[in-house]
Amino acid sequence: MKQAGSKNIFSFKYRLQRLKRDSNKWAILTLLILFLIVLPIVSIGVKLFSGPGETWSHIVDNLLLDYIGNSLFLIFACGAIVLLFGVSTAWLVARFEFPLRKQMEWLLILPLAIPGYIVAYAYAGIFDYGGTLQLILKAAGLPFVRFDIMNKSGLAFVLGISLFPYVYVSSRAFFLNQANNLMEASEMLGVGPVKTFFKLMLPMARPAIIAGLILVLMEVLNDYGAAKYFGVNTFTTGIFRSWFSLEEPETAVYLSALLIVIVFSLILLEKFQRRKLRFNSNRDNNMRLNRKQLSSKMQFVILLVVLLPVLLGFLLPVAQLIYWATLTYENVFNLYFLTISVQSFGIALLTAFVSVIIAVILIFFSKWSRLGFIKNIAKLGILGYAIPGAVVAIGIMIPTIFIDRWLIDIMDYLFNVDMGLILTGTLVALIYAYVVRFLAVAYNPIESTALKVSNAIPDSSNMLGVGNLRTFFKIEFPLIRTGIASAFILVFVDVLKELPLTLILKPFHVNTLAVKAYEYASDEMVMEAAIPSLFIIVTVMLPVIFLNRLLIK
Amino acid sequence: MLEIESLSKSFDKGKSFALKNVSFHLKEGDVCALVGESGSGKTTLVRLIAGLETPEAGIIRLNGETVSSLNSFVPPEKRKVGLVFQDYALFPHMTLLKNVLYGISKDKNKNERAREVLNLVGLGGMEDRYPHQLSGGQQQRVALARALAPNPSLLILDEPFSNLDAMLRMQLRNEIFEIVKATGVTAIFVTHDTQDALAVADEILILQNGELIQKDEAANLYTKPNSIYVASLFGNTIQLSNELQSAFQCPLNPACSHAIRNENFAINEECEHVTHARVIKRTFLGHDTQLLLKLDSGQKISVLTKDRNVADLIMIGFNSKDVLEFNS
Repeated sequence: MKQAGSKNIFSFKYRLQRLKRDSNKWAILTLLILFLIVLPIVSIGVKLFSGPGETWSHIVDNLLLDYIGNSLFLIFACGAIVLLFGVSTAWLVARFEFPLRKQMEWLLILPLAIPGYIVAYAYAGIFDYGGTLQLILKAAGLPFVRFDIMNKSGLAFVLGISLFPYVYVSSRAFFLNQANNLMEASEMLGVGPVKTFFKLMLPMARPAIIAGLILVLMEVLNDYGAAKYFGVNTFTTGIFRSWFSLEEPETAVYLSALLIVIVFSLILLEKFQRRKLRFNSNRDNNMRLNRKQLSSKMQFVILLVVLLPVLLGFLLPVAQLIYWATLTYENVFNLYFLTISVQSFGIALLTAFVSVIIAVILIFFSKWSRLGFIKNIAKLGILGYAIPGAVVAIGIMIPTIFIDRWLIDIMDYLFNVDMGLILTGTLVALIYAYVVRFLAVAYNPIESTALKVSNAIPDSSNMLGVGNLRTFFKIEFPLIRTGIASAFILVFVDVLKELPLTLILKPFHVNTLAVKAYEYASDEMVMEAAIPSLFIIVTVMLPVIFLNRLLIK
Repeated sequence: MLEIESLSKSFDKGKSFALKNVSFHLKEGDVCALVGESGSGKTTLVRLIAGLETPEAGIIRLNGETVSSLNSFVPPEKRKVGLVFQDYALFPHMTLLKNVLYGISKDKNKNERAREVLNLVGLGGMEDRYPHQLSGGQQQRVALARALAPNPSLLILDEPFSNLDAMLRMQLRNEIFEIVKATGVTAIFVTHDTQDALAVADEILILQNGELIQKDEAANLYTKPNSIYVASLFGNTIQLSNELQSAFQCPLNPACSHAIRNENFAINEECEHVTHARVIKRTFLGHDTQLLLKLDSGQKISVLTKDRNVADLIMIGFNSKDVLEFNS
């Protein structure tokens, strides 16, 4: 309402003046970075309007139902498996005392160190004709029973057993921090442990459990290597097929767009389930956990229950790989393999470095901008984690090819120079794509440690005449070092394991351990895949254990 | 020295105002207290002066230079304003000396200056300690030393004593303001405690719901509050309703509203306006005893007395000069 004599400070004119006043370089740089990060996803959206490729109707008629059916089956089957293993182990580890409990606590995380496709190779080897299982049964004089694992049920098992630690970690955190008081209250009211678990703890832990579950489902939709090896048609294999075999980018884009819709529906579903539920109490419970002491027989049973997923998800596949490695190391372990390892580590380190810098820029530049909306949209930059790697890769190809063509035309027109592609098929595009996909992995740990530093600390540095950038290096950086270190390690690990995005975007002369393992497996040389796989597992395992230490602390 | 003109701040695009049309001036060397309940906008006001927030409208001038207006904004690091935060905000990874040196790293005599201010706040010899090795009161003094080191033209203390217990608080309050006054710096002191404000400030600003409702010297605020809200901030008051006025046979100007401070009631003494009352409840408060009285006319009021052994039937009254009058 405009009163006589007083100017309306929310009129368009005044808003515009304030926008001009409050736009600083930090705001502009934040927007620029955000634009680059969101560009691939937007590109897919824009491409949708240019129509599908010729085979689209063929795919809709013959394959789309298959893709949707298989992907949905995987979502439900894997979901069930990870819930079963993840929640039960988290509960037992958090609430009961049993031998080797401390060791089991971190062993249960180790399946995350093995990418799903490698678990798939190992299990194929175990259950194959002439595979490990047959050898063992033969040696024991038993008749051979064949499990056919190369189908969608087998795929669900393989992915579930390698991804359940996501649910284990998120629900264990809840059971450790929040459950004690509630448990005791429930016991005081005379409710038995089984009823307490199902009536009280499970509903209370639901937001935490589902948060872990959503991560699993994103990984399931992201998987290419395992599905391809088991011959199961999913959205991701479909994208690869139309990109490489059918050479129809338009169709790949359409499938990608559909996949994005599925992923975002999952995210919305999670937001919806979380809507009203804020069960986390506002303070951490510092009280010592009272773990239940059961009879030694029961303790042994618990140990076996907890050991089972570790056995299936880690020990068994690793044993199979080690066995293969002993058979093949002479052929595989050579100078070329070392080159690949160095390339792999180099790319992962470089990506981790760039991702951490971009994450820091998004978090801090948006804070330094004086515009409220910049702070609100900065988080858009981490959307890439929800988008399957193959989709991100295609999203990157669209603008980079466009820019390359444009540059070539310009150079040709202006200087008559014939220039090659400078983005497409180079490391720049590959690392760009990794950053888009894994930015969240760097962003979250840095943000959570940054949030622990009171705003008054950087503010008081400003008040002492020190600008934002110097404040960051002198004050904030030393205080958030652990967050930055974990961000670096996590991105490094994820890049090392990454397969589908790398397959699409890697430069011709460059190779990574993951791609090499995949190539061996696709060329009917799955035994040779063991060495690069073990290299990945060992490199990933060490930081995973280190981070678990941080998490427990 | 500090000039504020029609300053407004809204955090929700104008749906509500954290600060509404606030204007005032401060002279060089003034020590001014900013008093208000939580949510009254006092922290927002000092954050705007410091440059940690951007205003929706209004002008801030420091030493004649416009530091904030609709078209210009000087960032906090260029304003030469010192700010002592409520939680001290010491840099946890730096020693006391490094904390104090932080704002004067470009000075020629930085080491002498740092030691000088640390001695000023009585922490000489503790230069190599880390903040976590200090008590709350000591941390408070480091924060003050750090803010004073660069010789700010304006010093802001945002609720500096709210994290301290009552005993320490009084002692530290007097110490800190002796230091502040000795340096001669213009200071704004944010508090919700009127006793703190009365004790140290030359001038007091009262904020309510984002509006500046009174600015005056401490003594004037106490004796001439311009609203019943301000009066009640500085001690319990009783509003003199029409019924009470007739009970005490004290007709007052009906165009105004009136109140009287609790301590201005006199029991069993000669006064201009008196009535009889019965004590219906006594609450022992230590120094004082609170009496709930039922007047002859039937109204209930509660008053404070130092006399613990008041009889059940008393005479209570007050003098006209103690009646506070407000334009309603």
